[in-house]
Amino acid sequence: MSIRVLNPNAEVLNKSAALHMTINAARGLQDVLKSNLGPKGTIKMLVGGAGDIKLTKDGNTLLKEMQIQNPTAIMIARTAVAQDDYSGDGTTSTVLFIGELMKQSERCIDEGTHPRFLVDGFEIGKKATLEFLEKFKIPVVMGDTPDKEILKMVARTTLRTKLYEVLADQLTDIVVNAVLCIRRPEEAIDLFMVEIMHMRHKFDVDTRLVEGLVLDHGSRHPDMKRRAENCYILTCNVSLEYDKSEVNAGFFYSNAEQREKMVAAERRQVDQRVMKIIEMKNKVCSGTDKNFVVINQKGIDPPSLDLLARAGIIALRRAKRRNMERLVLACGGEAVNSVDDLTEECLGWAGLVYEHVLGEEKYTFVEQVKNPHSCTILIKGPNDHTIAQIKDAVRDGLRSVKNTVEDEAIVLGAGAFEVAARKHLLDNVKRTVKGRAQLGVEAFADALLVIPKTLAENSGLDTQDVLNEHDQGNVVGLNHHTGDPIDPQMEGIFDNYSVKRQIINSGPVIASQLLLVDEVIRAGRNMRKPA
Amino acid sequence: MKEIVTIQVGDFANYIGSHFWNFQDELLGLAEDDGADPIFKNNHMDMDVLYRTGQTHQGTYTYCPRLISIGSQGSLGTLSSSGSLYGDSSCSDILAWKGGVTKSEEKRHEKNLFLKSLSEEGEEDSHIEDKDRVECLERDVKFWSDFSKVQFHHKSLYELKGTWTDFQNFENFGVGKEVLSGGLHMEELNDRLRFFVEECDHVQGIQCVVDDSGGFSSVASEFLENIADDYTNIPVLLYAVRDTFSYTYASNQRKSITRSLHDAVSLSKLSTYSSLVVPVGLPSLGGLASSLCAKDEKNFHSSAVYASAIHSMSTAFRFRPGGSISNTTCASGSLDIGEIVHNLAGQDRQNMVAILDISMPAPPLSDKGNQGNVLNRFHALGPEIGDDSEDLYMAESLVFNGALYSGVNRASISQVKDSICRVYDKGLRAKPKSSHLSISLTPIPIPLSFPSIFPTSTGRHGETLVDQPEAGPPRGPLEVESIPIATRLRSSIAIKPFIEGRYNNLLRHGMARGAKGAGILRDWGFGKDEVDDIGEHLSKMVRVFDPSSEMTSDSD
Ligand SMILES: Nc1ncnc2c1ncn2[C@@H]1O[C@H](COP(=O)(O)OP(=O)(O)OP(=O)(O)O)[C@@H](O)[C@H]1O
Ligand SMILES: [Mg+2]
Repeated sequence: MSIRVLNPNAEVLNKSAALHMTINAARGLQDVLKSNLGPKGTIKMLVGGAGDIKLTKDGNTLLKEMQIQNPTAIMIARTAVAQDDYSGDGTTSTVLFIGELMKQSERCIDEGTHPRFLVDGFEIGKKATLEFLEKFKIPVVMGDTPDKEILKMVARTTLRTKLYEVLADQLTDIVVNAVLCIRRPEEAIDLFMVEIMHMRHKFDVDTRLVEGLVLDHGSRHPDMKRRAENCYILTCNVSLEYDKSEVNAGFFYSNAEQREKMVAAERRQVDQRVMKIIEMKNKVCSGTDKNFVVINQKGIDPPSLDLLARAGIIALRRAKRRNMERLVLACGGEAVNSVDDLTEECLGWAGLVYEHVLGEEKYTFVEQVKNPHSCTILIKGPNDHTIAQIKDAVRDGLRSVKNTVEDEAIVLGAGAFEVAARKHLLDNVKRTVKGRAQLGVEAFADALLVIPKTLAENSGLDTQDVLNEHDQGNVVGLNHHTGDPIDPQMEGIFDNYSVKRQIINSGPVIASQLLLVDEVIRAGRNMRKPA
Repeated sequence: MKEIVTIQVGDFANYIGSHFWNFQDELLGLAEDDGADPIFKNNHMDMDVLYRTGQTHQGTYTYCPRLISIGSQGSLGTLSSSGSLYGDSSCSDILAWKGGVTKSEEKRHEKNLFLKSLSEEGEEDSHIEDKDRVECLERDVKFWSDFSKVQFHHKSLYELKGTWTDFQNFENFGVGKEVLSGGLHMEELNDRLRFFVEECDHVQGIQCVVDDSGGFSSVASEFLENIADDYTNIPVLLYAVRDTFSYTYASNQRKSITRSLHDAVSLSKLSTYSSLVVPVGLPSLGGLASSLCAKDEKNFHSSAVYASAIHSMSTAFRFRPGGSISNTTCASGSLDIGEIVHNLAGQDRQNMVAILDISMPAPPLSDKGNQGNVLNRFHALGPEIGDDSEDLYMAESLVFNGALYSGVNRASISQVKDSICRVYDKGLRAKPKSSHLSISLTPIPIPLSFPSIFPTSTGRHGETLVDQPEAGPPRGPLEVESIPIATRLRSSIAIKPFIEGRYNNLLRHGMARGAKGAGILRDWGFGKDEVDDIGEHLSKMVRVFDPSSEMTSDSD
């Protein structure tokens, strides 16, 4: 793959100048992101041209806020974001790893090595590292009741890289419980069944798990109850508003009387649909203390709301499409597309439904459901950037739990894997490689070290101790308080297997592409001609 | 009351939107202002159709446009995307992290005099005169927000971030396709739209302004596709707008092919997901020179003209039933978006691409001869318009705002009606098969944010001054308070060249054997089937004009 020709006025640089430019761009991006890495990284505060503020510690979010123009940097950024789409984590590590591979390459190229050899070495290094990962990973058996402690350790490791400890630890339980709530045997975990909802709240920073659903709208009739217990839930996608489209035909030619008639006929149809719902309500509720709640994906107009309110029904309109599915998973029953299909079996159940109003925002809580397979994580924070930061963290946390369940394996964190993999490459793999590809393997091995090194650097420490310890054959990570070697297993620092795998996979692929690019096109004509 | 939700996509669309909302804001202000012309005090127009009432957490009520505006990253200038009504987006307390912070600050955009005078800093600085504010906008406008005086809701302004798209080269449908794919943009946009729609009791339609000269066309069509899925029966009135720069001569053949393919794909896609498409945007505004002196190279100018027309059309959608004060009727001929769509595209000929015409300022009506035949003073605001004097199936919808009568008097409803009828009755112009007339006695107000584009001979109320020297600087908001305006949407055979040209270009450059542009379409991610569908859709749009197809138009 070569970088597209974008600007016809651009100037073609010769190979080596081009390569250095590419390497510089990769390292530039690495420099921006490296202070983010790990629990001791710094948070980035981005102030926009209008003075608005964004806060993030997430590589993915940071990249998306940046206006990146350089084609090399864009390519790396795309890879890193794809890493996040695919596995939910590891964006920062990906950028650092690619940057470091380029940096190690530059050294070799300056000493006269052809990029081709490096690329060959990367390929060997990648394969060997992936094989090593298979041996290094720690299998965890999930079964019907997964080991919560393991899940928690992985979630905690991730969350603590995004939020301060108290908050991270509070969220740890929440994300683990949320995933276990929606998990169903024999099915892939669909994280969309965890709704993430937020509320702006004056002082509070608080997050809680609602077993059930929180909708971001409320009923639209003053007489409907704001709180009800023992509720049947009807989830539907039925138009309960008078829809003019059918009346429209012939509007300009028919007389007013005819038009009135058609309007009335259409209105009657809507009313009949409403009556069907009211009949069902009477059938299941009359003579009991039970209530009836309609949650509709389509619209409900004021006359229909009136009818429903008079029948004592709570009705919400324009529900999110995805909530149709979530509601059914949370409350049971099934979603109906036509009131003709309406039977008692379609109805779900919730012990409590209530509304919460904050300014113009309304929230409806559907709680105390019997056997929820969908739930909501409700985030409260005093301003948008805090909420956004927690939201990102929650997404990361959920993904890490899902990954663990699906990988049935975890990997020691805190740089332990990278240090061990490097040693393996240098001790066992390098010598089996013939010729100059050896240099590529070595560059690859050294590039892996960027993770522990950066983790140490961000804690204001040096990695040398760890490397020494490791050379004596111990598997160690790095204590980010003291810089001393630690055993990540003891500390409960675990990363996702699939995240690591993906980083090892994609890093060298992109680096190789960048190294083999024939020419780079650079815009602007007033540049010096390369010699 | 039936609500309208407005959607703006792309930079030029937001320029137009900025003027559009300034008109609304001005009308709201004038209605409250005791010193204002009483004509602005009649409340026959229901602003709730376009605006929503809200409330902040502190309990303060807000009144904001029911709007979603989509723009490129960095296109908001000094405006914060979350607005300023609902709390401060510049609060910098870091609550969720105890570790280190690195700060990176973009260069602050500086507010111009106009914006300064809107905010508190300006109030102290009371020596800023209206003249300074008007002049600073004529001198320099960089962002649409530079001349916006409207407060937006925090869910209204959406910046496309994280696409690393070079918005300088956001030139065609293909580059726009990547922007919404992946990431959570679509989900967020759907959520925001749902917020505005859920609170409506009965949405009459969506008014959509799309800069369709480049990638935003595909951003919009993707959004509209979602909307069509979620809100099946809500009609979408779409203005496909372009600035004069988009007509700049293509510098090589590949570019010119790319552009014609873009135009074809864009028309096909946008019309698939809307009810009525109105192309707006001329290569040059020179054709309007007799009544306006807008500068082609200023988007600030051209967007003001287009916004005036769109505003004028929209007034007909919000007449209050029986809207009158002190027994004088102020408006007549109300219609809603569904009705206008039906009138223009749903009758004898199912043509869904309409032409927007404007007469601005509209000449005073009179009962003498051909004078005051406003129908002859219309200028089409879209390109590639043919002739329709022989068209038997023409349908039109006219809107007249604040007409004057013989000089400077305000015309009454019946005077406006009579003068239009007279044009048709006397055969001064062929009567269309179907014609609808909406009249509002309120003229268009000219806010301080409006450019100086009126000829020297324009009077305070938009009348033509006879004893005024021809030469002199153009007049603007300092000299002109309001103007009468007439607009028309027409569905006629005159649009056929526009559609046919695009269809033929698609055939020639994209579909024929060995076509040079086939690869371009592939690069944009269109497979053969999809290209066929795009072609078929355009061909169908052309066929509605065939006399032979009329019989069969019901069966397909
Ligand atoms: N307590 C800890 N001590 C040392 N290292 C840790 C600790 N917790 C996590 N790490 C390490 O931090 C790294 C992850 O950091 P971080 O989450 O900031 O970046 P990322 O996952 O690469 O990218 P992002 O999360 O921004 O997408 C992993 O290598 C992990 O092993
Ligand atoms: Mg991480």
